[in-house]
Amino acid sequence: MFTDETLDALGVESLWRKSQQFAQESRGCQTWPVHTAEAEIQLLLNADNGTQTDPQDHLLYQLPFKGEFRPESPGLRDFLHRVEDIVVKELANNAKSHAFDGFDVNWEDPNETVSCIHCLQHPSAQEKGLQVTSISWSCTGSVIACAFGRVDDGDWSTEKSCVCTWNLDRRGLNPKRPDTVIDVARPVMSLSFHPSQPSLIAGGLYSGEVVVWDTNRTQDLILAQTGMSTDTHREPVYQVAWVPGPRRGEMVVLSAGSGGRVLLWTVDSDEGRLVLSAGFALVRQQVPHNSALSKNRGSSNVGVTSLALSPWDLDTFLVGSESGLVLKCSFSAQTLAAAPPDGESVTLRAPAQFSFSPRGGPVHSLHCSPFHRNLFVSVGTDGLAHLHSLLQPDPLLSLRVSDSYVFGVRWSPTRPLLFAAATGQGLVQIFDLGRKSLRPAATLDQLTGGQPVYCLEFNPRRKDLLAVGNADGSVNIWHLSTELTEQGPRETAKLEQLANEVAE
Amino acid sequence: RPDVIQPGYEPGTVVTDAVPQTTAPLGSPSEAEVEETLKRIQTHKGVIGTIVVNAEGIPIRTTLDNSTTVQYAGLLHQLTMKARSTVRDIDPQNDLTFLRIRSKKHEIMVAPDKEYLLIVIQNPSE
Repeated sequence: MFTDETLDALGVESLWRKSQQFAQESRGCQTWPVHTAEAEIQLLLNADNGTQTDPQDHLLYQLPFKGEFRPESPGLRDFLHRVEDIVVKELANNAKSHAFDGFDVNWEDPNETVSCIHCLQHPSAQEKGLQVTSISWSCTGSVIACAFGRVDDGDWSTEKSCVCTWNLDRRGLNPKRPDTVIDVARPVMSLSFHPSQPSLIAGGLYSGEVVVWDTNRTQDLILAQTGMSTDTHREPVYQVAWVPGPRRGEMVVLSAGSGGRVLLWTVDSDEGRLVLSAGFALVRQQVPHNSALSKNRGSSNVGVTSLALSPWDLDTFLVGSESGLVLKCSFSAQTLAAAPPDGESVTLRAPAQFSFSPRGGPVHSLHCSPFHRNLFVSVGTDGLAHLHSLLQPDPLLSLRVSDSYVFGVRWSPTRPLLFAAATGQGLVQIFDLGRKSLRPAATLDQLTGGQPVYCLEFNPRRKDLLAVGNADGSVNIWHLSTELTEQGPRETAKLEQLANEVAE
Repeated sequence: RPDVIQPGYEPGTVVTDAVPQTTAPLGSPSEAEVEETLKRIQTHKGVIGTIVVNAEGIPIRTTLDNSTTVQYAGLLHQLTMKARSTVRDIDPQNDLTFLRIRSKKHEIMVAPDKEYLLIVIQNPSE
């Protein structure tokens, strides 16, 4: 009935799947044969070439006739032969000739009178009764800065004061309103403009600090200051000046105070600090030839009241002290100062090399002559102006300036024989050493009612302006006559003669 | 390969004579005469300085310092040319023979020539 059966497998053809292989045709193509050829080249001749020039120095420093290599100039000998006679004849004639004696040319109208052209005041400083302690002209000669403080106050002063500047060349000059007023917390005793940057002013304060202001700034005018550190002066700074620094073109600030210290500060404008770079201490024991004064008891420091830099010798400077000493000092002195170290960061050196004959009272002002390397003039409380030569201790000449103290003296920058002195009676006496008489050539009355004149400065650019600072807080600008500013013939020779006289 | 680099020179540098002039030995007679003449002029009474300038305005002998010499040479060379042209403009047959400038402090004398200029500065009142 039931049996096992095996059936064949059944297959179904796919309807949609086809073979992917289509009909295939093969073709080929071929280009024409490509022509190729081979060629070679090779350099038969090669050469190397190069040029080089030496750096061409400016003609100024390389004149060809100095040194071994002298270019022969053909015909130079013959040329000199031809002209020698005529030149020598003219030279001889000229030396004997009187043709030009007394012949003067008027290039400009001569100014016969001396007049006060401006009277600059700062009313708020005058109300407080502040006096002008120091004035300075900028290097351009258009801006005058004056420092207010007190000179007659014996006590330690914490009064606020200011530094004012006026630009005289501005059209809208208002003598009662300064262009810039810098408020300072202490009285300012000395001021000095930078010799080449017209916006920097260095000032020395009553507290012993030294500050450099930059009048270009709008906000805080202080560029750098010493602050109250162990390096600063402990006593009022009576003199500041700018001197060339160790690097070319750099100027450092020199400050001298009645503590007997003369310090050199470098300006660090990034930090706003003045960094002490060198220092000198004047100690009585180290002053040469000082037998007369060693009997005094008291402080061994020699307080500096005035300082003068020599324009001829950058190493020399003169110092005038409170006790009447006038000393010649050197920046490169190496002997160490005998002052006890007070925490300063540099070792102090003793700069004094030579001592001139001492005076009876403080030496208020010194100035080196810009026309003779050995002459300087000093004034003090004895009312006399002493003309000294650097080579000898006694003065060459002593002129009576006034019956009271003399606070300032300056040589004229244009006339070798002229200097001006500021007296305690409110007068500026101008002396001409070429005159036979010892009386002043001109007297400028400051019209301050007899109040002293503390400082005076000639304008470095405009030779006929003189600025005078008074105790009543005003600065007078005087316009000098041609006679006081024009150099006469043979003045330098007369000055030379004066300097060579030996004092009896 | 031909070697064109001459012996004795570094490859890459060429030495050229910048100033094509011959040197006059210092001891030669013409040089000594020049020195003597200039010395005679210099030691004359009141003479401050003596400068010899060539036709291009370059100083070739001087007794003053470099910067003053260059200043005098440049300025006076120009002034002498101007003076000469002034004289010749007025009269073309005329020519400049001598130039003297008198100032407050001293007198400058210029002796001109085709190739050179002699400048002498004298202080007549000494």
